[in-house]
Amino acid sequence: MTPALTISRATIPGRIDGVSLALAPGVMAGLVGPNGSGKSTLLQVAAGILPAPAGAVLWNGQPLARIPMLERGRRAAWVPQDARFEFGFTVRSVVAQGRYAHGDDNRGVDEALARFDLVSLAHRPVNRISGGERQRVLLARAHVTAAPLLLWDEPLAALDPRHALEILLLGNKHTRAGGTLLFSLHDLRMAYILDTVVVMHEGRLRAIGKPAEVLTPALLLEVFGVRTEITPSLSLALP
Amino acid sequence: MPSANTHSAFPRPVPLLIALVLLAALALASLCIGDMNLTPARTLDGLLRRGDELATIVIWNMRLPRVLVAMLIGAALSASGLVMQAYFRNSLASPGLLGVSAGGTAGAVAIIGAGLTTHSLLFLPAASILGAFVATACVIALARRGAGAERLLLAGIALNAMLGAVSSYVLSNATLTYERNAQILFWLLGGLEDRTWEHVLVAAPIALFAILLWPLGRQMDLLSLGADEAQSLGVDVRRLRRALLVLSTILTALATAVAGTVGFVGLIVPHMLRLIIGPEHRRLVPLSLIGGAAFVVACDLIGRELGGPAGLRIGIVTSLIGGPFFLWLLRREA
Repeated sequence: MTPALTISRATIPGRIDGVSLALAPGVMAGLVGPNGSGKSTLLQVAAGILPAPAGAVLWNGQPLARIPMLERGRRAAWVPQDARFEFGFTVRSVVAQGRYAHGDDNRGVDEALARFDLVSLAHRPVNRISGGERQRVLLARAHVTAAPLLLWDEPLAALDPRHALEILLLGNKHTRAGGTLLFSLHDLRMAYILDTVVVMHEGRLRAIGKPAEVLTPALLLEVFGVRTEITPSLSLALP
Repeated sequence: MPSANTHSAFPRPVPLLIALVLLAALALASLCIGDMNLTPARTLDGLLRRGDELATIVIWNMRLPRVLVAMLIGAALSASGLVMQAYFRNSLASPGLLGVSAGGTAGAVAIIGAGLTTHSLLFLPAASILGAFVATACVIALARRGAGAERLLLAGIALNAMLGAVSSYVLSNATLTYERNAQILFWLLGGLEDRTWEHVLVAAPIALFAILLWPLGRQMDLLSLGADEAQSLGVDVRRLRRALLVLSTILTALATAVAGTVGFVGLIVPHMLRLIIGPEHRRLVPLSLIGGAAFVVACDLIGRELGGPAGLRIGIVTSLIGGPFFLWLLRREA
């Protein structure tokens, strides 16, 4: 099967170095690594926002350079770690921007507002809401693009536990329906329950595979400098 | 504080109609009022060349070119400010604060100082455009992608000082004749006095560039919330940014070429409009063109009426109104 996302030997001097990976359709992959290991850069390269002078990025086996800009907006959605909104667009109008590449047809906007718990904020200016609310607006905007390839940069960082679980569940639903999701996160316990983890270390791809095989105590000590232990702990679920 | 929703109370075309009526009324008033006041009926006679010779001469030789130049530069500066604000994601960006106007002025001053304006009328706008592009290039280089608001505005301060020094150098050059010095001073002050049809001709391309700006509104919405995000949503950001930069620089340069430095228009008109109708550029682009035209015509009228026999120059009036507004804005956003 053609991978949904292929990156081959992508290099951005000083940031990432010769990173290659392939993700099949239906995969929900977590991207982990210490601060400064190149996670955000890798996501930007995958999204085609940061062109890698050396190396190639393919979506569904098609080189990014051959996909017209507008079509890219329909095939992949990238969500930044945080956004600074200068102007007071309403939450609803920002979410509706996700339909730009579909001719601004506003399809799915109301449904997304409900799903991301934004209905009560729909008419608030986006430069006057909290960080977690902003994060949900960005995710909702990515959601309405209906793009099969999702690239989220630390989507859970600003969210409370309930909203974080809802976002994970949504990602799970997306990949079960055949979509592909690559997202960065710092919570290794969360990463442990995903299909695939990608480990970045000092700009290089250190490992990729099933969490149980990849996140070994030896690797965690080497990459993150932490000792690991499996213990009973607080676990959270939606009611 | 305006609520987020106030603007959705207006049906879409209403603010545009109000702005058009306001502009028409101001333009008419500007044609009627002056050293010799004309009744609207006589103004119309003059405008249509219906036998009233004195009115015809006053309107066609003096007032109409002045009003047209005022409208064109107002539209240009206001739209240019709107574009820069979206481009830099900074509501304080404007041709004046970023030094683009100063670049156009320095170009114009240098060409006058060299005595080249006597050769061809086109040298002046060409030099102004060149100067403005040099300034724009400097701003882009100094305020790289992702640079914060402070850095952008500091770059503007530095540029304004440097380009101001260029103008001052030319002005203080002792070999210049008195006449050239006066001409240079005119540019530095910004004025609409004695504008002729030649000036209208030089400013006329503003209308063309404004039309090119029209369809970019929706993409400006996305760009104004982040370039990377806009690209991810399907906007060809590199192409859009190039178009916006070229258009806003040329608009500012043409305005500067015919009227010298006129400050604050690009800052306060888009701001006032955003407070009234919200941040959507599909509506802001046409309204800032019309609103900017109305604002400069109004400022010119104020300067002519309140400035005594000599009149207040347009650059002085816009700064006297725009300066306090800008300070209020800073205080409000602090």
